[in-house]
Amino acid sequence: MIVTQLWLIDFRNHTSTELQLDSGVTLITGQNGHGKTNLLEGLSLLNGHKSFRGATSESLVRSGCEFAVIRAQVIRHRREHLIEMKIVASGRSRVQLNRQIVKRFKDLSDTVSIVVFSPDDLELIKGSPGIRRNFIDEVLLSCDKKFRLVKANFDRVIKQRNNLLKQCRGRLSKELEESLSIWNSQFIELSEVIGSNRIQLVRDIEPLVNTFYSQVAGKEEQVNFRYETTWMDKGLDQALHEIQHEEVRRGTTLVGPHRDDVIIDLNNLVSRTHSSQGEQRSLALALRLSEHAYMAQKIDDSPLILLDDVFSELDEGRSKRLVECLPSAQIVLTSATGTIPVGIHPGKKLKVLNGHISLGENE
Amino acid sequence: MYDLPVQNLIDEFGRLPGVGPKSAQRIAFYLLKLPEAESLRLAKAIIEAKERVGFCEQCWNISEEQICRLCSDIHRDNDSLCVVEEPRDVVALEKAGYRGRYHVLQGALNPMEGIGPEQLRIKELIVRLSNEEIQELIVCTNPNIEGEATAMYLARQLKPLGIKVTRIASGLPVGGDLEYADELTLERALEGRRELNA
Ligand SMILES: [Zn+2]
Repeated sequence: MIVTQLWLIDFRNHTSTELQLDSGVTLITGQNGHGKTNLLEGLSLLNGHKSFRGATSESLVRSGCEFAVIRAQVIRHRREHLIEMKIVASGRSRVQLNRQIVKRFKDLSDTVSIVVFSPDDLELIKGSPGIRRNFIDEVLLSCDKKFRLVKANFDRVIKQRNNLLKQCRGRLSKELEESLSIWNSQFIELSEVIGSNRIQLVRDIEPLVNTFYSQVAGKEEQVNFRYETTWMDKGLDQALHEIQHEEVRRGTTLVGPHRDDVIIDLNNLVSRTHSSQGEQRSLALALRLSEHAYMAQKIDDSPLILLDDVFSELDEGRSKRLVECLPSAQIVLTSATGTIPVGIHPGKKLKVLNGHISLGENE
Repeated sequence: MYDLPVQNLIDEFGRLPGVGPKSAQRIAFYLLKLPEAESLRLAKAIIEAKERVGFCEQCWNISEEQICRLCSDIHRDNDSLCVVEEPRDVVALEKAGYRGRYHVLQGALNPMEGIGPEQLRIKELIVRLSNEEIQELIVCTNPNIEGEATAMYLARQLKPLGIKVTRIASGLPVGGDLEYADELTLERALEGRRELNA
């Protein structure tokens, strides 16, 4: 899959940017604050997922404007597609694929697959359980239509359930108990699907992460994944029953897949707390590389790779080994200094200055 | 911000379903620009609809009479009754060829919107079921999580009455509205209905 052309209108600091991307590697240089990462962010939104910078629609729209537009020409399985996204600062954003309205943004994942490497990826290892859950879910959402539906329903059921628990105001009347048990049955059903999908994914990527970790770190070490949950063994029905009193008191759902964690062990030690910064960095890279390999296999196509200023954070050895691991895919990378490791050969170089693009000299 | 009558108008539109603050403003200003005769026509249409149209006392569908056209039609099949969320679902089922009785709940369970069983026409349904000779109750709430929750609630409530309760097949796009299902899909969903276990 490749993105051939991108237009950004009133997107962040890009008033009107049009650019063509190389089918191999495109390098974007420019000083910090001029709009390199904004450009990558614009590209990253094409799969319909949230911004990898966690940005709201409002912050994506150039200040003073009502909406931003992202348009892109994409080729997948030899067919051309046109994606047009209107991001509204306050209101409902819209997206069209080949002039047809797409109801759910995430359904764009059927057309566009992207893996983003960002300096913040260290948080995948060091951060809270939510970040790892999110990583797993995003991978599943990217390549599994059914999971997308299950997740959307789950998110809605949990909102309804929390609302009901709040209505209790600390006391569970007979009527509310009846209603709660109705919502519980859907909550349990969807939770089980989410849990088993996540466990399967973790099993599938574990060998990939092991391979990539040794390649990036340059040494043979063992990575293990453990899906940590408090409800799977006893069953969610039982777990909910045990915690009901506490849930009513606090007015929110306290057990379920939204509370699970994926523990990543390196040589049988919890990487979050026991690995060095260098090991954590290698692990994060291995996760992204595995994400790409997993998706490529699932969708039978190579996802677009976005590298946001990744090499500036890495020592020479890791940079070199990361380059060796990069799969054959369309790659867009940013760099403030313009120096990139040997082994990467940009077919196109672009410069960003104050939200404007100019052609850099090509190799 | 605006003169009181203008602000009132904007606020009223803002309370309509699916209308955000921006759209409310847009509609209000559009109306203010209209020739007087045209805006009066709209006002009259609202008043007339409110005066003449109410709800059928039997099935709670919209109706000009106390008992609606469908409920008073003696040629319809009395054995089965379709429970739906909204009057528009009755229209969809009519198109799909269903010719039994209806009961309109006027919504679905939705804690986020403050809709519990008491806000729906469930009590009225239970009264009906003890008065009318209905063999099968077909739950045709929407195939989304609120519709499923409502179906499950009904199945549990109606179990003591000993009536056969079925649910339309989920051949419908999950997460969708009955209203958007085409006639053939809905017809198949009706044919493929299964018994609901409480
Ligand atoms: Zn009626």
